[in-house]
Amino acid sequence: MTAIIEATGLSRRFGDVHAVDGVSFEIQEGSICGLLGRNGAGKTTLMNLVTGQDFPSSGAVRVLGEDPVENARALTRLCFIKESQSYPDAYRGRHVLAMAPRFFPHFDATLAARLVEDFGVPVNRMIKKMSRGQRSAIGAIVGIASRAELTLLDEPYAGLDAVARHIFYDRLLEDYAAHPRTIVLSTHLIDEAADLLDHVLVIHEGRIEIDAATEDLRGTASTLVGRKADVEAFVAGREVLAREHIGGIASATVAGLSGDDRARAASSGLEVTPVSLQQLIVRRTGGATPAEEVA
Amino acid sequence: MAAVADTARPEALVPAGRRIWNVVRLHAANPWPSLILPWIVLVSIHALTWTIWAIISHYAGPGIEEDAFRYAGGVSWLVIYMMIIAIQAMNAGFRFALGFSSTRREYYLGTVAFFAIMAVVFGLGLGLLALVERATGGWGLNGSFYAPAYLYDEPFGVVAFHYFALYLLFTSMGAMIGALFVRWKAYGLYLYFGALALALVALVWWLLDAGWGPVADFFTGNPLAVVMAWTLPVSLAFGVLGWAVLRRAPARG
Repeated sequence: MTAIIEATGLSRRFGDVHAVDGVSFEIQEGSICGLLGRNGAGKTTLMNLVTGQDFPSSGAVRVLGEDPVENARALTRLCFIKESQSYPDAYRGRHVLAMAPRFFPHFDATLAARLVEDFGVPVNRMIKKMSRGQRSAIGAIVGIASRAELTLLDEPYAGLDAVARHIFYDRLLEDYAAHPRTIVLSTHLIDEAADLLDHVLVIHEGRIEIDAATEDLRGTASTLVGRKADVEAFVAGREVLAREHIGGIASATVAGLSGDDRARAASSGLEVTPVSLQQLIVRRTGGATPAEEVA
Repeated sequence: MAAVADTARPEALVPAGRRIWNVVRLHAANPWPSLILPWIVLVSIHALTWTIWAIISHYAGPGIEEDAFRYAGGVSWLVIYMMIIAIQAMNAGFRFALGFSSTRREYYLGTVAFFAIMAVVFGLGLGLLALVERATGGWGLNGSFYAPAYLYDEPFGVVAFHYFALYLLFTSMGAMIGALFVRWKAYGLYLYFGALALALVALVWWLLDAGWGPVADFFTGNPLAVVMAWTLPVSLAFGVLGWAVLRRAPARG
């Protein structure tokens, strides 16, 4: 495996705000990597830096081994779709789709036409008159159909309903299987996208909080539910990430349970469930606040 | 890490000339606001002006002065319109082109090329309409719409060059204003209008000091073609300033 993105000590400051604060990471070629984090955590800034749309305050990022800033060798191989993408005032949907093949050499117009059908995008409508979801769908279509070696999708389905989101996941995976590439996907809907991701980067207040394979992460925490006394007895001396109780029933989330631990917990009458990616990330980046329900 | 460096260094997937041409096409994807609408508006204003001329000459009778309809200003709005087109192209077009994996350099060269092509189109178009105007005896009413006032006696080449140069001047100024906005948002515009105000004050000061003489001499003593040729270095300066501002502009927000 080779790294398609390498960041070393990458920082971007806006005045006093450290939007991205000395992050170092690698994203491997062929990976579908989730870039997760709360609003304002630095996801979009990070993606802007990776695609040369913004300039680092310090540190460096390399894409396909090169500095992406003003570098057509790197840029013609990548496609960055962001939620806030702006379009020329006079553009209708079809103008965007007519321009895309010129800028993205692997663009598949047949696939794009099919996706337009799937998402039901009114391509003859002015972009500025489209709903947020329709604009997102245009971006998603370009992102999937461009088949760029490196595809970055920033909140690609903001405003899309659940059905459209599932079309998005299906089509993205389907096309990824036929034409493997590297995908970096930032999203709030962690559990929804979790099955898609093989790697997760969690950014919190400009720093990388978690950088791990999705598989490894899933096993890192479990929730135990049972009688309060049993739960307390079991978790004594362990790292407890969260605990709740209602009457005599308690639940506790603990890190790193081994096979033996699970067996012991089950035998003492506790129900053991793995913690979902979303819960895990919420606990690591925001404490008790519930997951953001932005769609 | 080294493995990536070894396999990298392939050429860009799209050759440089094509990348710049793509930006030209990006601006013309919907030709309506930049290429079609201005002509429609222009012809409409022309029709309206012609109607007024017709009414006046009907009531004035044969005694009307020969140069009564020589000072129409119905074309002048075009330059301001084009400046606004240039500002918009810079603002939304820049972020769109970068979102479509262009470099800033390609974007700027393509945008300048687009405006240069447009300047040729509008220069030739207005020049040809001026020819028609002369061939039809001023639209049958001795009127001058496309070559009014100081353009009245100029040959086709000078009329076309005049519009070409004027178009470049205003779009390059628009491009620079747009670049200032893209780079520094509202602060960029404060900077622009601040600089403009200072320049005007300096100009008035200089005029009061040196008198109108040299300025008037420049405009009256030189043929129109020379005066217009002097706008080219000014346009170039705006173009270079625009690039200096845009080359470090982020595509945020």
